[in-house]
Amino acid sequence: MARMELSSLAKRYGQVEVLREIDLTIEDGEFVVLVGPSGCGKSTLLRMIAGLEPISGGELRIDGRRVNETAPRDRDIAMVFQSYALYPHMDVARNMGFSLEIRGKPETERRPRVAAAASTLSLEPLLARLPKALSGGQRQRVAMGRAIVRQPRAFLFDEPLSNLDAALRVDMRLEIARLHKRLAATMIYVTHDQVEAMTLADRIVVLNGGDVQQVGSPLDLYDRPANRFVAQFIGSPTMNILPVTLDDRGLPRLANGAAVPLEGLAPEGVAGRIAEIGLRPEHLVPGAAEGALVSGTADLVEHLGSDTNVYVRTEDYGTLVLRVHGHHPVRSGDALHLHARPGAVHAFDRDGLALPRRSR
Amino acid sequence: MSASARRVPGETRARPNFIWRHLIEPYLYISPALVLIALVMVVPLVIGLSYAFQSVVLLRPSAGGWVGLANFAQLWGDARFWRALGNTFWWTFGTLVFQFAFGLGLALLLNTQFAGKRLVQALVFLPWAVPTFLTALTWSWLFNPVIGPLPHWLAALGILSEPFNILGDPALAMWGPITANVWFGIPFFAITLLAALQSIPGELYEAAEIDGATPWQAFVKITLPFLAPMIAITVMLRTIWIANFADLIFVMTGGGPANSTQILSSYIFTTAFRKLDFGYASALAIALLGLLLAYAVVLLALRRRFVRI
Repeated sequence: MARMELSSLAKRYGQVEVLREIDLTIEDGEFVVLVGPSGCGKSTLLRMIAGLEPISGGELRIDGRRVNETAPRDRDIAMVFQSYALYPHMDVARNMGFSLEIRGKPETERRPRVAAAASTLSLEPLLARLPKALSGGQRQRVAMGRAIVRQPRAFLFDEPLSNLDAALRVDMRLEIARLHKRLAATMIYVTHDQVEAMTLADRIVVLNGGDVQQVGSPLDLYDRPANRFVAQFIGSPTMNILPVTLDDRGLPRLANGAAVPLEGLAPEGVAGRIAEIGLRPEHLVPGAAEGALVSGTADLVEHLGSDTNVYVRTEDYGTLVLRVHGHHPVRSGDALHLHARPGAVHAFDRDGLALPRRSR
Repeated sequence: MSASARRVPGETRARPNFIWRHLIEPYLYISPALVLIALVMVVPLVIGLSYAFQSVVLLRPSAGGWVGLANFAQLWGDARFWRALGNTFWWTFGTLVFQFAFGLGLALLLNTQFAGKRLVQALVFLPWAVPTFLTALTWSWLFNPVIGPLPHWLAALGILSEPFNILGDPALAMWGPITANVWFGIPFFAITLLAALQSIPGELYEAAEIDGATPWQAFVKITLPFLAPMIAITVMLRTIWIANFADLIFVMTGGGPANSTQILSSYIFTTAFRKLDFGYASALAIALLGLLLAYAVVLLALRRRFVRI
């Protein structure tokens, strides 16, 4: 069990700064997801915690002890790799017991621990097989089993599900969630998939370009994104961004002259600063032409069954997305007048920072 | 003939005869390759093997004819054969051990990151490109105390009592060609083992490091198992090649002094082309072939038993 403190952690390759001043405290037993687009430094950060990448600046402490210079094998952390990194010349049982074998634990101690982990992950029938005789999902479970057997202080996952097909990914996601519930161990999970991040995390750390954009619970990030990047990164389809202009009374107006409904925002923060508004697809509703924020033509209609995504071509804002229920009668070519759900508008200033919302 | 009356376009026109279509026709198609292989490999091999059971001495052309196992009986009682066999083992495994050890070490070094890696790699592989004849001459000069430095260095280190030419000492002469062959053969192991090393996924080492393995444990439990198939095949190929490889010995010592560096293949060569006794030379060659085949079978069996990748 481990509490991790990252203070001003930095990573440089020569002149290139990959991570800048990362400050983060991960509580014992917490499930933290590092999420961001590719190249944002999330995997590098995870590898620094594992000890596979040297730390260029700042300090990493595990349970209060500085481990910057500690070798990976002395950090007592397990890691699950994207490619699973199973040892191809060892059968499943030996793969899972490898860390114990390395530490010179006798067979009599290894066998029950491997068996226990195997039963947790329903791997018993596969123990004698070589990795090449396993399917992707089975390999993934073996990789997790290898981590569990050690009973480490913390688990690191580096995009563990990205090589699996969609259905298996959902299964494994549940399995990881169950595992965390059962072990109550500290887990740090890297992904670019926001669904994995939203469903698994106690707290999400959104990274972009080597900086932490926001740290918070999944719903925090969804309801109160700190800036435009987080707002657009979390939520699918992505949030619509509409620039606004200020009229002579200083009130924000859209291109057709409609006033922006500001009821969800803290009024003192908005005045004079608002430059753009953000509207999630699920917060747009088609309605009457009168009082509509924006009007356009339905271009593409995607039926997902439970929902329908409608891509609306507008004159002033390009293509906007809205989400309606699965059997909504909208068709491609229909004229649509869009309204916002009350209190759902996000606002951003010129620098993309979110303007404060009313506390609920 | 209603079948021919209803012939459809694209229908096979081959004779619908089972024996023709399945037992004869396919072999006609591959016969050019078979004939070529037979002409180039099988026929000479059979003729060569048949010499072992004949008396083929070019100096006495009239005495030819089948002699049964007489050549092998002579071989059993030939002290020079047994000496050459012993020397062959010494030469082969003395060379192989050092070539492999240095080659593996070099491959491990070259598999790390350092400045000028490409240049060093190119230089390391240079001995492979040097003609054997030149290698042999250069090394025999290096061992010559009049023009070469090695005897003086060895004497200074206390390995030799005084700087003399080890190629002239029956007890030490074999080390001369072995040294030259080690130098000559290291690149082969370095190249092949480096290729095998580079095919090991780096993540396995990271996983092992996180699992708690020390560098030595990672080497023993990951690197070696991965290298094993390549090691088995290269060691087998090299053993056969070295056992047959008499060029260096021939140029450096000519099998002497007093047959102390005579190996089987140089003995075969001398018997065939100096004494012109092709019958006996062929019997010697069959003995060597039999030993190498037995060796290859053992090694392949070991490989199947232990290599799991």
